[in-house]
Amino acid sequence: MRALQWEGVNKLAVGTVPDPELRNPGDVIVRVTRTVTCGSDLHLLGGYIPFMEKGDVLGHEFLGEIVEAGPDVRNHRVGDRVVVSSFISCGNCWYCDQKLYSLCENGNTNPAITETLWGHAPSGCFGYSHAMGGNAGSHAEYIRVPFADVGAFTVPDAVSDERALFASDSASTGWMGADLGGVKPGDVVAVWGAGAVGQMAARAATLLGAARVIVIDRLENRLQQVEQHIGAETLNYEQTDVGGELRERSGGRGPDVCIEAVGMEAHAPGAQFAYDQIKQQLRLQTDRPIAVREAIHACRKGGSVFVLGVYAGFVDKFPLGALMNKGLTVRGAQMHGQRYIPMLLDRMAKGELVTEHLATHVLPLDRAPEGYRMFKEKEDGCVRAVFLP
Amino acid sequence: MNRTGKLLLTAAPIAAGAAAAVAVKRRRARRPAARRRHVVTVFKPRFELESTQLPGSLSEIADQLEITLAEAPGGRGTEIAVRIRDNATVTDGHVRRALRETQSLIETGDVLLPSGPPTTRPTLLNRPLQMATQHGREGGLL
Ligand SMILES: NC(=O)c1ccc[n+]([C@@H]2O[C@H](COP(=O)([O-])OP(=O)(O)OC[C@H]3O[C@@H](n4cnc5c(N)ncnc54)[C@H](O)[C@@H]3O)[C@@H](O)[C@H]2O)c1
Ligand SMILES: [Zn+2]
Ligand SMILES: [Zn+2]
Repeated sequence: MRALQWEGVNKLAVGTVPDPELRNPGDVIVRVTRTVTCGSDLHLLGGYIPFMEKGDVLGHEFLGEIVEAGPDVRNHRVGDRVVVSSFISCGNCWYCDQKLYSLCENGNTNPAITETLWGHAPSGCFGYSHAMGGNAGSHAEYIRVPFADVGAFTVPDAVSDERALFASDSASTGWMGADLGGVKPGDVVAVWGAGAVGQMAARAATLLGAARVIVIDRLENRLQQVEQHIGAETLNYEQTDVGGELRERSGGRGPDVCIEAVGMEAHAPGAQFAYDQIKQQLRLQTDRPIAVREAIHACRKGGSVFVLGVYAGFVDKFPLGALMNKGLTVRGAQMHGQRYIPMLLDRMAKGELVTEHLATHVLPLDRAPEGYRMFKEKEDGCVRAVFLP
Repeated sequence: MNRTGKLLLTAAPIAAGAAAAVAVKRRRARRPAARRRHVVTVFKPRFELESTQLPGSLSEIADQLEITLAEAPGGRGTEIAVRIRDNATVTDGHVRRALRETQSLIETGDVLLPSGPPTTRPTLLNRPLQMATQHGREGGLL
């Protein structure tokens, strides 16, 4: 079959690879009908997560049709139209029981790498390096989905492929940020990053009853999408002082909940960016925590900061003093997709959650390298490039 | 800088963390003190498990091990602790893999296999990573 493969740092190519096989009795094989780029892939592409091998298939946000099912699969049958959580979870361990699905104990075949790095291993993910299990990704004609009863969800007839696709990752990740960040009715919520993840976090905050939701970015086309499709306020950090503006818009208190949806390749105007980029390039820090710093500084006393952006290692100049003295709660997580996907599909069916506008570019899989270039460089207003295998 | 150089440099700080962890282990290993136990908590009540009948490869090496089961607090299941007997031939790696497989068998009835057939090609650069992933359940801190 055809698949998009990682060939080296900033090098992608579409090649021919063997079709995936059922490996465990709870597996299904899905014929991928839509698969999409994610900001997380950029960290792999750029070599910031150095556990990729030449030939690895990328992609972890996808939708398709089940074409083969293992003997233990109960909730699905061949022909089901399914959307699949990016993280792979067994559904039976203590973490799955707590609905902390990305922390599953049994979904990563290579726990040694991340256990050594971080003390304990999160679960596995599709197309996300050998540190996350080395699972072949979804930018391919077919994909093997383990623990299919737990991670694959039948899409209701009322929801189109175009909309359901984003339940797989962006929408569930964004919802998690607002939910576990503790958004309550009446809150002021600030979201850093107007990519698909930030936009979905902002929409979740609104649906959870936030009184004001403000999304921060510098890309005008993305901020425009936020105003038009998400119904949140915006703030361009290149045109205004973010801290001052947030303070003013929240009665001097600061946002109750701050959601960071930027990640380790954050950008900033001026000296801070140069400082962080040089340190990152000299490998004195692995990640650039620019938006996290700003969120901690802006957050109201006793408020909460949720880190959705992906970080791999160490950061510098972390404002521990503000965190401690302002009594903040800082939390983060990889997505617990299984916890949110059924509810999200429901809201999608009711029209409360729309996602189609995120797919600014739809291309055949053969043009995926071009799609990634546009997504990475944010060319032509690209927010997400969707591939049709 | 060429691409290869960049990848290696990028890998450096993260790989350094892993190397440091290994170094700490070596230093500890020189001390003659008793070896630390390997412990996992499985999400199954204590009364449903029998130390002599744990599933998976743990039972194959059980004669070289001291296995104790204890109820975990707060309804978290059962703690399985393993001490390797003196003069045993099994390694810490064997025990880690066996414990992880046992946990998965107890909790899910199965042990997840990597996806396949492989889509990657061996290169000089990825040889260390391939070595590590071939023993993916043997390393780590468990
Ligand atoms: N936690 C999870 O499970 C999970 C899941 C999906 C994605 N992610 C992560 O979430 C992050 C966002 O993902 P995405 O797909 O939306 O990425 P994206 O690249 O499309 O969007 C990131 C946005 O952040 C903006 N940005 C950069 N620096 C900024 C700054 N200093 N302040 C405000 N905005 C800034 C960029 O202009 C861009 O619009 C990434 O780090 C990704 O890895 C995490
Ligand atoms: Zn993602
Ligand atoms: Zn689990």
